[in-house]
Amino acid sequence: MALTSVQSFYSPEDSKGVIELLAKYEDSALIVAGGTFLHGLVSRGLLSGIEALINIQKLGLNQIDVSGATMTVGATTILGQLQSCEQVQKEAWLGAVKDAMTYPPVQIMNSGTVGGSISSSCPFFDFPVTLLALDGNVQAEGGNGARTISLDEFFAGLFENSLEADEFVTGVTIPVPASKSTSAFIKMETNANDLAIINLAVSLSMTDDGSCAGARVFAGGGVGETPVRCSAAEGILSASKLDEDTLEKAGQAAADELDPLSDHRASAEYRKAMGKVLLKRAVTSAIGRLA
Amino acid sequence: MSTNVIGKSITRPDAYDKVTGGKKYPVNYSLPGMLHMKILRSPYPHAKILSIDTSEAEKVAGVRGVLVPDDVPKQYFTPVYFVPHNAPSMVQDFVLMSDTVRWAGQPVAAVAAVSEDIAEQALELIDVEYEELPTVFDPEEAMKDGAPQLHEASPNNIAKAPSFAFGDMDAGFEEADHIFEGVYETQRVHTCYMEPRVCVVDSDTDGRLTVHSSMQHTFGLREKLAYALDIAESKVTVVKPTYIGGGFGGKLDIGFIEGLAALLSLKTGKPVRGEHSRGEDFISTTRNPIKVYLKTGVKKDSTYTARSIRSILDAGAHATHGSEVIMVHGLYGTFFPWKCPNQLWEGFTVYTNNMIGGGYRGYGAPQGCFAVESQNDEICETLGIDPIEFRLKNTHREGDPHPVLEGHKLASYKIEDCLRQGAERIGFDKRKPAGSSTEVKKRGIGFACHPLWVSGCVGFPDIYEHSGATVKLNRDGTADVISACVDLGSGQISMLTAVVAEELSLAPENVRVVYADTDTAPFDAPTHASRATYSAGLATKAAAVETKKRLFQAAAAVMEANAEDMVLEDGMVMVKGAPDSAIPMTDIIARAESPFIQVGEQGPAPTTIAEKGTIIGSASQAPPSNPSPVGAQFIELDVDTDTGVVEILRVVYSTDIGQVIHPNSAEGQVEGGFQQGMGYALMENLQFDQETGACLSADFLDYKIPTSMEMPANIESIFIDSNEPSGPYGGKSMSEMCLIVPAAAIANAVYNAIGVRITDLPITPEKILKALGKL
Ligand SMILES: Cc1cc2nc3c(=O)[nH]c(=O)nc-3n(C[C@H](O)[C@H](O)[C@H](O)COP(=O)(O)OP(=O)(O)OC[C@H]3O[C@@H](n4cnc5c(N)ncnc54)[C@H](O)[C@@H]3O)c2cc1C
Repeated sequence: MALTSVQSFYSPEDSKGVIELLAKYEDSALIVAGGTFLHGLVSRGLLSGIEALINIQKLGLNQIDVSGATMTVGATTILGQLQSCEQVQKEAWLGAVKDAMTYPPVQIMNSGTVGGSISSSCPFFDFPVTLLALDGNVQAEGGNGARTISLDEFFAGLFENSLEADEFVTGVTIPVPASKSTSAFIKMETNANDLAIINLAVSLSMTDDGSCAGARVFAGGGVGETPVRCSAAEGILSASKLDEDTLEKAGQAAADELDPLSDHRASAEYRKAMGKVLLKRAVTSAIGRLA
Repeated sequence: MSTNVIGKSITRPDAYDKVTGGKKYPVNYSLPGMLHMKILRSPYPHAKILSIDTSEAEKVAGVRGVLVPDDVPKQYFTPVYFVPHNAPSMVQDFVLMSDTVRWAGQPVAAVAAVSEDIAEQALELIDVEYEELPTVFDPEEAMKDGAPQLHEASPNNIAKAPSFAFGDMDAGFEEADHIFEGVYETQRVHTCYMEPRVCVVDSDTDGRLTVHSSMQHTFGLREKLAYALDIAESKVTVVKPTYIGGGFGGKLDIGFIEGLAALLSLKTGKPVRGEHSRGEDFISTTRNPIKVYLKTGVKKDSTYTARSIRSILDAGAHATHGSEVIMVHGLYGTFFPWKCPNQLWEGFTVYTNNMIGGGYRGYGAPQGCFAVESQNDEICETLGIDPIEFRLKNTHREGDPHPVLEGHKLASYKIEDCLRQGAERIGFDKRKPAGSSTEVKKRGIGFACHPLWVSGCVGFPDIYEHSGATVKLNRDGTADVISACVDLGSGQISMLTAVVAEELSLAPENVRVVYADTDTAPFDAPTHASRATYSAGLATKAAAVETKKRLFQAAAAVMEANAEDMVLEDGMVMVKGAPDSAIPMTDIIARAESPFIQVGEQGPAPTTIAEKGTIIGSASQAPPSNPSPVGAQFIELDVDTDTGVVEILRVVYSTDIGQVIHPNSAEGQVEGGFQQGMGYALMENLQFDQETGACLSADFLDYKIPTSMEMPANIESIFIDSNEPSGPYGGKSMSEMCLIVPAAAIANAVYNAIGVRITDLPITPEKILKALGKL
């Protein structure tokens, strides 16, 4: 099936151009960044009625800035670029991002973008789950100017987000943690080209004596229309020594918090059970990064 | 035997073309003015079409032709290429378009338009009124009285019910010290060829058709297409594709696209192209699921006393391959591979409202091997018997009579070497007792073997099994090979090239496998049943021998010697034992092709009548036998017992395929076969909505096969030193064996790791956790 309704392909040079086109076409325009997810949407008949494609690759939004108190990643930064970023490779607190970047196939690493990964608002993707665990925000621009949207507010449902019709994503920001932090991410998949059966990211802020001061846990992939925050598990991990017993309890809590779906990839039961295993393993892996 | 080319891995002649885009794949073929066809498919798995209104679709600008079931000849036939359309072993229940729908996805109308988009838009305007009928998806339910009937001629939905027996079952089980019973189930999988099914059909003003298609059999397509359209075979020319992007048995029957495109071409006078989407491919061919009830009696000394097997094959909406798959499964997949004095096999090919089946590498044997080799492992485990000795006790031996083919022997049959060398390489003696590891990740080692398979179809009563070729020598010292044998990607071009280069003492780069079609090439059966090297290789060798004979006759005239005394070495023709007499073969060819006065470097010189005539030879013949390849595969893997995820670490595959013609290609077959076998064992499953019958896999996002990332880094191929006396240069077959054993071997290794057996494929992480009681 082809995008038969498309009449025009635009490549504006600045955000103003993008916003004007979005305003003009309203629901019948679609932004294209790497274009890697469009195929899947088109072949499932989810993109009928699109008249214009707006390529945003000419805006120069492919920059990563790690100099300040906030890390900024431009929307058209490709996943491979994020993976090669020195801080992502080295810093324990960015461990979850490093982990997430090991899963996509090389073709996706070389063309899929950070903005596309977030904007697709697909609960089966990996990077959004890591970004949630790192308290990331979305930077958007539209007719009413630029604004920051917190990620959990951004994801509004399956393939739905809270962007206005004339808004688009210019980048994401991640606060650099003030204290010692670490994170990790794990995905269950059937093969290397798979969407997550379930995935899970944890981010931990640690005290000097090695106990946990605060935790973020998010799971995605078949556990809900948007990634799910596992608050009870966070509570158990926070202010704990992160020993076996805590991990067991937190894992169970995470599993209990999930109300996954059953589909041709896996049953709800399996996804729930894996929630527990992934939480325990992700915490262990995050702590291991500090060693 | 000393050879120049055979056994040396010549550069594949098609390699450069393929890695630079493969412009000769049928999917890249187009003709000026070509129309594009799209097919409307039924959303219901069982329904009667009450009416079809195409008037709105016909009004769309750019639409040139529309077909509905009434426009299609009501010719009932079997679409399988390798048998005659009316073969008694098959069921003639197939028609190009019917007004009864029996599976979700069955074609109900087709549109040809100037673009694919327009054809697609037109499909949306076709109004079909259906009356839904009751459905049945489970073959055992379908066999019950009162189940919805799919075809009037087949009560209880049984399309075929073959059986074989010998000995005395009661006495056999009586004699047994132990009796084992199990039920083994396999799922529906797709071959996942890379190139979709695609065709371009053109028609002449006198109603002649020329067909380009991605398929495994030129002559089969000609026969089936002519029959479906009720026209003479000579009115159809099928052009052999230079190569196709994979088949694996999935392109071994006429699809709907060729017939419908032909009718639309005849209707519009234009060439018409049809191409499947991946989703359409998924519902057009599959390996039939088979459920095997297996009961085996064994004596304390490890020998079988009796075995009864009941195999139920889900054919889906039409029998297609299902009636042959069940036979091959019975004969070569379960019954005859092992020695057992008392045996009974009953097979059932059963109609359901599932998608139709197809061929798939191994053709019923992977299902059989999974059942039998799983149970063999259970027997050894329970009785504490050495599993390798157990196999050897119950398999045939080299020199034994062929268990199926009267008058033939297992002339090359090195099963013992396969088992022993494979075991040694993997370190089988170091494997731990099943489930004994206390780690979360548990290591397992297991194996499976398959002691009987085919090199083609000699012995099958109504399967075509002859091959032919023409070999022509050119003045520049090159040879052209005309053969209808299709290269699926599995190396037939290299094989034919190597055979001719070897026989005619040519450098491989001086041999070209050239254009062929059904008008100009001799008949060849399809590239299937592991037959091409053995059968087409032998026929092509015979053609090259004829060519050489002709060369010697011409040389004899030139040298005034006896043709029978000639030999050909390194491009020189000479009298045996007289190297001084040597003349370059190119001189002989040039003289043969020249006028009577030949102008050479020394000026004009006369030649004789006796030398004249193109140096050409042809052969068309059936192969003499059906030698069995054998193989054993050993697997080392880890099972993560918290997640159920299996990681394959190492694969050793030892096989007797006779003399290896092209080692690199042979290794490629082992690796590709393992990839498909691993998918079958662990993840692949074409799933359907249980209520609507709709396929849940539209593309590879939903249908999972192992990628290079999941493949083990180590797949070690051991080719046992062997020589098949009836084969070309001692070769026999290989391809399918590589996919028959992996699922059973992996299942046995998983058992060794976790100590619990899973008897239905695929062995998913969920099934493993359930088996471990963790879910
Ligand atoms: C084979 C395959 C494997 C994959 N494996 C993984 C994996 O392992 N892990 C994983 O997380 N993901 C995976 N993905 C998904 C992949 O990460 C996304 O497809 C990719 O990140 C999307 O980025 P893109 O630039 O290609 O988006 P596009 O395809 O260009 O766009 C996707 C959607 O986002 C919208 N969009 C894009 N950019 C913006 C923007 N700046 N503002 C507003 N809207 C925008 C588009 O309109 C469209 O709706 C896989 C995809 C494929 C096809």
